[in-house]
Amino acid sequence: MNSSSTTTLTSKPGSSSKLDHWRAYPRFLSRVVWQAFDGNWLFYVWMILLTAVFLVGANAWAVQVRDGMGLTSMSDHVSWGLYIANFTFLVGLAAGGVMMVIPAYLYHDEEMHDVVIVGELLAVAAIIMALCFVVADLGRPDRFWHLLPGLGRFNFPLSMLTWDVIVLNGYLLINLHICGYLLYMRFLGRKPNPKWYVPMVFLSIIWAVSIHTVTAFLYCGLGGRPFWNTALLAPRFLASAFVSGPAFIILAIGILQRFLGTSFGVGPIRTLANIMRVTILINLLMVGSEVFVEFYTGGTHTSAAQYLYFGLHGKNELVPWIWSSVGMTIIAALLLLSPKVFTHGWMLTLACVLAFCGIWIEKGMGLIIPGFIPSVLHEIVEYRPSLLEWKISTGIWALGFMIYTVALKVTLNVFRKPSSQAGASPLAGR
Amino acid sequence: MDTETTLAPKEGITRRDVLKGLGATLGLAAYAKALAPLTEWKPAESVDEFLQKHYKELSPVDLNIVLRRLEKDTKDNHGVDVNITDVKAQSGVKFGYALNLSICIGCRKCAEACHQENNHDRPSNQSYIRVLEMSKGSIDMEKGNAHYDHPVPQPDKFYMPVQCQQCDNPPCVSVCPVEATWKEPDGIVVVDYNWCIGCRYCQAACPYHARRFNWTKPEIPAKETNPEQNYLSNRIRPQGVMEKCTFCLHRTRNGRLPACLEACPTGARVFGNLLDPKSEIRWVLENKRVFVLKEDLGTKPQFFYFFDE
Amino acid sequence: MEPKLSNRPIARWVAAALGVSAVASAAWFAWAADSNTIPQAGIPASTNAIAGKLFPVTIRPTAGTPKVNTGLTNHHGQPVLASCSSCHATTKPNIDTHSTAELDQFHQGLNYAHGNLACLSCHNAKNYDTLQLATGKPVEFANVMTLCAQCHGTTMRDYQRGSHGGMNGYWDLTKGPRTRNNCVNCHDPHAPKYPQARPVFPPRDRISVQKNNGTKGEH
Repeated sequence: MNSSSTTTLTSKPGSSSKLDHWRAYPRFLSRVVWQAFDGNWLFYVWMILLTAVFLVGANAWAVQVRDGMGLTSMSDHVSWGLYIANFTFLVGLAAGGVMMVIPAYLYHDEEMHDVVIVGELLAVAAIIMALCFVVADLGRPDRFWHLLPGLGRFNFPLSMLTWDVIVLNGYLLINLHICGYLLYMRFLGRKPNPKWYVPMVFLSIIWAVSIHTVTAFLYCGLGGRPFWNTALLAPRFLASAFVSGPAFIILAIGILQRFLGTSFGVGPIRTLANIMRVTILINLLMVGSEVFVEFYTGGTHTSAAQYLYFGLHGKNELVPWIWSSVGMTIIAALLLLSPKVFTHGWMLTLACVLAFCGIWIEKGMGLIIPGFIPSVLHEIVEYRPSLLEWKISTGIWALGFMIYTVALKVTLNVFRKPSSQAGASPLAGR
Repeated sequence: MDTETTLAPKEGITRRDVLKGLGATLGLAAYAKALAPLTEWKPAESVDEFLQKHYKELSPVDLNIVLRRLEKDTKDNHGVDVNITDVKAQSGVKFGYALNLSICIGCRKCAEACHQENNHDRPSNQSYIRVLEMSKGSIDMEKGNAHYDHPVPQPDKFYMPVQCQQCDNPPCVSVCPVEATWKEPDGIVVVDYNWCIGCRYCQAACPYHARRFNWTKPEIPAKETNPEQNYLSNRIRPQGVMEKCTFCLHRTRNGRLPACLEACPTGARVFGNLLDPKSEIRWVLENKRVFVLKEDLGTKPQFFYFFDE
Repeated sequence: MEPKLSNRPIARWVAAALGVSAVASAAWFAWAADSNTIPQAGIPASTNAIAGKLFPVTIRPTAGTPKVNTGLTNHHGQPVLASCSSCHATTKPNIDTHSTAELDQFHQGLNYAHGNLACLSCHNAKNYDTLQLATGKPVEFANVMTLCAQCHGTTMRDYQRGSHGGMNGYWDLTKGPRTRNNCVNCHDPHAPKYPQARPVFPPRDRISVQKNNGTKGEH
C-alpha cells in the first residue's frame, strides 16, 4: 500500500485504544478513496474506459426503469434472460474466488497467502455485480424496501429468493470484513489478530458453498421446469464455479505480473491449475450425465435439452451457443491436462480464457434460457437479448472491473505513480 | 514499507490536480446525464403510494383511503372514472372451475371477454386465457398450437383453454420473496399489485403459464375501460408488476359468473362453489371423468377438464 | 498453530454455531410454514339464502309456433302470415319423406342434416302447428326442449346440471338470477351441428409474433 501514515497514530503495536480507531478509520477510508482516483496514466485510461462503458449501461438502465422492461427481449414465455444468466454465472465466480482460501488457511501454504487477496477481492467484486444484476432485473427496483424484514414482508424460509438475499449479502459482508480488516491493520502497521479474521475465513469457505447451492436451489426447486428440476444442478453449479473462479484468478495474476509488475510465486498458479484440471473434468462429467439422462429416456420432459442441443421444430438459436461452450470446455480440459501447460504460458492462458467463456455460456445462455424454452405450455418462443440488455450487462461488468481494479490497487500497490517505490509483497510479515 | 509522499505539503496546485478536477467535473456531469431518464420516471403517484403497506396489513380505514386514492390516480392518468372496491372472501365458499373439452370449439371468445373485463393492455392483446388447439388422441401439449387461425372446430382437433388453475398448493405463492401473492380463503390466488417488486420468480415457478407481467405501462382507451374494478383483480395495473387470472373475483365474490364463462357460446365452462353439494361444479366432479393438468407436480389445481363421452 | 484442526477451539465454536443455527432454522421453518394463510373473517351468507329464497333461472324463449310469410300484405300494409296447418290442411302427410330433396313444392332450400329422421318423426301430422314426441303426444313449439331431450337425454341432463349450454348471470342464485339458452338458440333443429366459427382474438405474444408467423399448426 502507498500509505503508511503510522507516524501520526499509535507507535506501540498491540495497543488498542478506541480513540485511535475513531480517527484512524476515517483516515483509512479516505486514503482508500484517494487511492481510487490517483495512479499512473495506464490506470486513468483503463478507468475512464470502464467509466464510459458503465455510464452507457447506467443510462440504458435508467431508460429501462422509465419505459419498462418491454425494451428487453424478455416475454411472458422467456421471463428471465441475460441479467439472470449473468447473475447465475457471477455467483459461481464469487464462490470460486474463495477456492484459494482453502489451501492458504487449511494447509498453511505461505505462497498462496499472497494470492488469496486476489481471490477474495474477486469474490467481493463478483457479488456486487451479481446484486446489481438482480436489481437490473427487477420490474420495480423502487420497491426494494419490501424485501427488508421488519419494514417489508420477507417470505423466509419458504422462498428461496429470500435465502439467496441472505447468503449473498452475508457473503459480501464476510469478505468485505476479511479484506477490510486486513487492509486496515496494514494501514495501521499492526499485525492482524487472527481471532478477528480466521473464523470469518472458515465461515466464508462454508458460505461460498452455500451461495451457489442456494442459487441452484432457486432453479432446481421448480417442479414446473423439468430442465432445471434435477438434483444434479447444485453440484453442477459448484463444479463450474470451481472452474471459472480459478480461471479468472490465473488470468488476473498473469495480467498483474506481466503488465503491472507485481510478483507472485509459481506455486499458486500451479495449485490453481491443478485444481482446475480436476474440476473441469468433473464439470464435463456432470454435463455428460445430464445429457445422457435427458436423451436416453426421451419424452416431452427432454424437449428443453432437445431444443438446446439440436433445435426443436425448426427453432435452433441456442444450438451454436451450447456447442461452442462444450467445445471450449473440452479444449480447455485437454490443454490443462497436458504437462506442457506449465512451461508454455500461452497454453495456460488460452485454457483459462476458454474455460471462463465456456462456463459463462453453459451457466448463462445454456442454462437459464433453455429452462424457459419450450414454455410450460410447450410453446417455443425464442429469446435473443436486445441491445439494451447488452448495454446494461456490459455496464455492470465494467462496474465490477472498476471495483476490482481499485480494490487490487489499494491492496497490491499496482498502478502506482512513477515516483513511489516498488511495492513489496502486500501481505508479507502476516 | 513505502515512504509517504503525499502527506508532505504540496507546492501549490499541480497540473495533475487541475486535470483531476476537470475530470471529476466532467465525470459528474456524465453521471448526471446518464441517469437523467430516471428523473422522468414516476414510480409512485405520491409518497403515500410509495409507502403503502401490504394489503393484509391495511386496516379498513386505510384500505378505503387507498381505494379512493387509486380512483383519483386512475382518473388523472387514464381519464376515466372508475369505482374500485374491495370484497372479502365469503365463508363457506371455495371456487372451482370445470371445462368441457367435448364442447369447446376454440373460438377464443373467453380470451376476448377476459381482455375486456380485466382492463388488459390493448396493444399486446393480453389475456389470462390461452387456448391450445390439440390433436385428438393425445393431451400432450407438445402437439398443441395456440396460434391457429382457421375456422373452428376442426374435426380432428379439440380445444383446451388454459388459465390460472388457482392451485391448492401453488408454487407461485411459495417462491414470492415479498409475499405479494397469496391464496385467499375462497381459493383464489391473488396479487397485491402495489406490493409486487417485479422479480418474476412466480412466473418461472408457475407450470401453467398463468402469470402475466406488465412489461410496459398498460394502455387502455378510456371508453374501453371497465369501470367496475377491484383492488385485487381488474383495476388498471402499474408497469413492472405481475398479474394473473382471479376468477373475476370482483364478480364472483358478489355471486356473478366470471366473464369468460358468460362469453362462452357453447357453455363449455362450469363454475361454482365446491363446498356446496348442490352446485353445478360438484355435479361435474362427481359425474364426469375429470382430470387436471400436470397432476404429477402436486400443485392440486382447482381447474378441471372433462369430456362428455 | 500446530494442533490438528479438530482440536482447535475455533473449530469447536464454528461447529457449535452451525448446530445451533440448524436447529433454530428448523424451528423457524416449522413456525413460518403456516404464516402464509391468514384466516379472514368471511362475510356471512346472504340473508336470502338463510330465508331460502332463490332467484329464478330463466330460459330464453324460442320464436314460438312458426308462421310462413305468404308475401301478401293486408289492407293495413302488414304481411299476411299463414300458419303451418293452413297449407297442410290440404296436403297428404308422407311419413317416408326424409329430406327436402324429395319435395317438389315448398320447403325448398331447407338445409336438412339431422341424422336419418323423417320429417314427421318430429313434426305432428295431426296438427302441424305442434311437434310430437315418439308416443305421438303433441308438444308446443315453445316447449321444443322436451322433444330434444327425448333423444338427447344425456345432453339434457348435462344442460340441466349446468355443464352444457352456458349461462349468464349469477352462479349464486341467492344473489341474483340466471338466464339459460334454449336448445334451438344454438342448434338449428334441422341442421343441429354447431356451426364452425372464425376464432377471434389471436394471441399476440411479445417478440414471438415475427417468429411464429408461418408456423401455424406446427409446434
